[in-house]
Amino acid sequence: MRYLGRRILRALLLMIGVSTLCFLLTQIAPGKFFDELRLNPQISPQTIAGLNSRYGLDQPVVLRYGRWLGAVAHGDFGYSIAYNSPVASLLWARLGNTLILTSAAMLLIWMIALPLGVIAASNRAVDKLLTGATSFLISIPEIVIAIGLLAVVVRGRVLPIGGMHALGFEELSRAESLKDLMFHMIMPTLILVLSGWPVIFRHVRTSVLECLEMPYVQAARGLGIGPVRLLFRHVLPVAANPAISLFGFSLAALLSGSLLVEVITGWPGLGPLILEATLSRDLFVVVGGALLSAVFMIGGNLVADLMLLACDPRIRTEAQG
Amino acid sequence: MRKRAMWILLGSLGLLHLAIIFAGFLAPYDPAAQNREFPYAAPSRLDFVGGNRPHFRPFVCVPELSDEHCVQYPMHFFVHGSEYRILGLLRSNLHLFGVEEPGRVFLLGTDSFGRDEFSRLVYGGQISLAAGLVATFLALLAATVIGILSGYYGGWMDESLMGWAELFLALPWLYFLLVIRALLPLHASPPATFLLLTAVIGVIGWARPARLIRGIVLSARSREYVTAARGFGGSDFYLLRRHVLPQTLGVLLTQAALLVPQYVAAEVTLSFFGLGVSEPMPSWGNMMSVLQQYGVLVSYSWLLAPAIALVVTSVMYWLLADTIRYWIQSQ
Amino acid sequence: MKPAGRLALVVCLFAVTCFAGAPVPATTSPNEDLEQLAAVTGHYGGRLVIGEKAEPKTLNPVTATDAVSREVIGRINADLIEINRASQQTEPALAKSWKVSKDGRTFTLHLRKGIRFSDGHPFDADDVLFSFAVYLDEAIGSPQRDLLIIDGKAPAITKLDQNTVQFVLPRPYAAAERLFDGFAMLPKHVLETPYREGKFDQVWALNTPADQVVGLGPFRVKQYVPGQRLIVERNPYYWKVDHENQRLPYLDELAFLFVGAEDSQVMRFEAGETDVISRMGVENYSLLQRDASRLGVQLADLGPSLEYNFLVFNLNDLSGKKLDGVARKQAWFGNLKFRQAVSMAVDRESLVKLVYGARGTALWGNVGPGNQRWVNTAIPHPQKSLETARQLLKSAGFAWNNSGQLVDASGAPVEFTIISSSSNAQRMKMATLVQDDLSHLGMQVHVVPLEFRAMLDRIFQSFDYDAAIMGLGGGDADPNPEMNVWLSNGSSHLWHLGESQAATQWENEIDRLMQQQMVTLDYQKRKQLYDRVQQMIAENLPFIFLATPDVLVGAKTQVGNFHPAVLDPYTLWNADELYIRGTEKAAIR
Repeated sequence: MRYLGRRILRALLLMIGVSTLCFLLTQIAPGKFFDELRLNPQISPQTIAGLNSRYGLDQPVVLRYGRWLGAVAHGDFGYSIAYNSPVASLLWARLGNTLILTSAAMLLIWMIALPLGVIAASNRAVDKLLTGATSFLISIPEIVIAIGLLAVVVRGRVLPIGGMHALGFEELSRAESLKDLMFHMIMPTLILVLSGWPVIFRHVRTSVLECLEMPYVQAARGLGIGPVRLLFRHVLPVAANPAISLFGFSLAALLSGSLLVEVITGWPGLGPLILEATLSRDLFVVVGGALLSAVFMIGGNLVADLMLLACDPRIRTEAQG
Repeated sequence: MRKRAMWILLGSLGLLHLAIIFAGFLAPYDPAAQNREFPYAAPSRLDFVGGNRPHFRPFVCVPELSDEHCVQYPMHFFVHGSEYRILGLLRSNLHLFGVEEPGRVFLLGTDSFGRDEFSRLVYGGQISLAAGLVATFLALLAATVIGILSGYYGGWMDESLMGWAELFLALPWLYFLLVIRALLPLHASPPATFLLLTAVIGVIGWARPARLIRGIVLSARSREYVTAARGFGGSDFYLLRRHVLPQTLGVLLTQAALLVPQYVAAEVTLSFFGLGVSEPMPSWGNMMSVLQQYGVLVSYSWLLAPAIALVVTSVMYWLLADTIRYWIQSQ
Repeated sequence: MKPAGRLALVVCLFAVTCFAGAPVPATTSPNEDLEQLAAVTGHYGGRLVIGEKAEPKTLNPVTATDAVSREVIGRINADLIEINRASQQTEPALAKSWKVSKDGRTFTLHLRKGIRFSDGHPFDADDVLFSFAVYLDEAIGSPQRDLLIIDGKAPAITKLDQNTVQFVLPRPYAAAERLFDGFAMLPKHVLETPYREGKFDQVWALNTPADQVVGLGPFRVKQYVPGQRLIVERNPYYWKVDHENQRLPYLDELAFLFVGAEDSQVMRFEAGETDVISRMGVENYSLLQRDASRLGVQLADLGPSLEYNFLVFNLNDLSGKKLDGVARKQAWFGNLKFRQAVSMAVDRESLVKLVYGARGTALWGNVGPGNQRWVNTAIPHPQKSLETARQLLKSAGFAWNNSGQLVDASGAPVEFTIISSSSNAQRMKMATLVQDDLSHLGMQVHVVPLEFRAMLDRIFQSFDYDAAIMGLGGGDADPNPEMNVWLSNGSSHLWHLGESQAATQWENEIDRLMQQQMVTLDYQKRKQLYDRVQQMIAENLPFIFLATPDVLVGAKTQVGNFHPAVLDPYTLWNADELYIRGTEKAAIR
């Protein structure tokens, strides 16, 4: 319980740290939101100055930070300058979309990589095949996978190219709209899975391999314990250690891992929103988005640590000690 | 059997790095030299038949600008061409191959400015590999130190270090990079700018490996043989070196093998936002950034060369990591 | 939900969707003063799908600044006088005629009678007065207010009767009627209350219920799905009719999909998911052209656009800023012969070929051949000549040292950086080409890509740069919108910002000429003045002009009445006339 309390305190400190850094970096990063208007010869500097002061962009950053903290305490996360609407509702609308995509991808990745990693560690022939395949996949940057896949899909005209729903989505029946959603999901999910599962696979394989070569496993094998029981009772629990950390990372990256894919495939998630906000210096959207990611990250790490505690009794005794 | 495979692999990696170091020798042209009449030219056709007789020496078929025919230029080896420096020190102008002016040999075609893609590829490897190696080294150095400190000593040190790790992971790193770039003086030389950015990637990237290492150290620390060794009077340093560190080696090596290509890929992302190496210096990253344009990707397939080079390099690095791990474990 | 209930719901939904659909155009009545487009024919039905680079940010015509928002707003609103993008001349719109007084200051506009908003409410002079009150309100700070302020004063607007409005400008202003294009007429009956309550800038955000967004344009808002699309449907009360007196628009709906950058747009267009594509790059255009008949698309190269891309040297006054490095180099940049040499060394022909794939035009002045009404054809177009460039540099006191580098009179090597926005691939390419060209003169040039806003900050705020490649123009063909670029105290006088007076003799002369052309009402006289301005700009090279791209657009062959133009919005400016071929059989639901 004390452990949990400590973690929550740390979580709060982290949030404050993230928001402080975001504000600070905004102060240092050159350029303001309305600078783009300067390029238009028909807009006077007075108008731009007026806009800047209306949105409080010319005030000292400490003041704006203090005001923002106060507003957050009341649940108000500020306004987006670009959309002229509250940040919270903007983020909320996109959050679900990102989660649908990344959860599906994460599920698929682990369902594929975990068993394959264990199998590869136990079977030399399969290992050679899979290691070769993953080496190939892992070295292709995600962006190249994404564009390459897109090029194939466009020529093939089989799958929809981007977006989350087809036009006229509202008129479809429930079953049809689900099917439509899944069709749209195939491409971005495929990109995420293709670029994500090699990493998990390799880590699982490495840790199982290391485990298999440990003396106590050799001893157990010498004692005549069958391979299946060996695997499930002796090897996997130990090999789970780094895998659990990785699982925590997967959870933590639920919000941030899909930025590139969302931008390229036009999936209406958090990624494109925050990217555009960063490039146009729409401060409150960026801070809100960073905080949201931080929440997920903290949650993911907490789950990972708790699971580590539960699975590895040695750590449990240490933690209690 | 394994040993032979290992020597072949080491040899190939060595060859790759040698080729990159001696890029000036391998490349027929200066990577910045533009041939504006030949934008997006396809790779040169090499004929081994010239004047109706087969030759050992290949001929390069250079298309005439006006008509369909091409003029044949014999390829010569060990020619003198534009000057370059090896490792920034030795001057030379000897090139492995070349053709007489006004002929051009484009083994891998040209880019949008008519610059020889093959020359840019080998020169670009210098930047990209250096970036990947430096960033990986820095990141893993920081990650190991922090992961060990955090996992071994636990308590408040663990809490605060992991807190910083979380902060680093939660930061919108794009902002961070934008800010760093903006703070650098415009007139800093491009190589210095790039190395600094690489260092920044490495420094940002310590957080994830640190957590992994911490996890390993946490469980290694509480094993019986470690407690026993401590009971025998082993100092912290001895314990770390003898018992804990070897446990982390596997993870470290896997991470290194994974991170080098990932950091080279990070260079592509930097180039995407224009924060990478600036023109006209080539790097695999900024050569690949043109592939983001759909029209280019489907029309000019020879521009995929840096992507293929990246894949080949990565595969070789992993096989290396696997081999090293196997070798360590057989000790 | 029980199975029976679920079935009932499905049946209800089905029934509703059968009856829902695009609004039927209201029958025309003789009370309405409709505008007839005699040359336009077509038939009803169909939906046009358009890919957009990003989401629109708002539907509020007064506060919207970004291009996508303005494109959508332009389809659901109408102005008093419109500029026909094809002819580039003004046409009556909501004002069916107008009279100008002899001194050019008083405009009397006669509004069409019997016109209704998209919710059926009548439109009259009260709405016009209300709209302009909002645009001119300093507290709201609309960027469009600046367009109406001449000499620091706003026009006086009075209502003469329910259908006549009078504008009195503080002084004569050339082509003043062009000003009215872009000022959407707002519904007083909907917006007066929020305006009085001071909440006007929150009005008509994207999530506003569709029936509250009311306008006079050919379409009205139907549905907004965050992050994905915005759909507008036919305005049943639209005030234009076609050749057979059928009320426009023909299309049932326009669907704006938020697709992303140009590459995503091209992919979707190629896959047939969007119907229209506006402004693509030459690589994508060639790609589509190869497959045009198989894809069933019509592509158009409309000739040179009105933009101009240029290299600008930093000639700002740097006293008081700690920028000694740049200040030292200004000795070179400020020398006219230096700039002339740079201009002579740039190979514009290969620049156009490599950057625009020959679908572009080289520029030597700020007005290119795309602007036929105003271009000064007498300006010389010297070809690249390194010899001339070298002679110019020699006569300016430069020389070459032993390693071939260019050095100035004090022996310092000529070395500088060119910045450009990393997100604009064409300008980055131009920077690389210019760098290569200048290296033949012995100049050491570095190209530094900067993130867009970081670049703007250096250009407008810190002045910490040597040279930059940028682009301007493209707004309107008329010279007046460009005033602030050429006036010495203008906000876009990029090479020397923040001057209160002209720094040089020629800038003084340009100031005088521009001010004069602004108040000259006769086109011929204005053209003479502006020709002289163009000549002086080309001679004194505050910008070294490079090139302009052609406007490349495309649409499916089924899109009828597709008449794209060189002015923004290139493909949608006549959205009310577009129709989909092959939908004759589609009944109006």
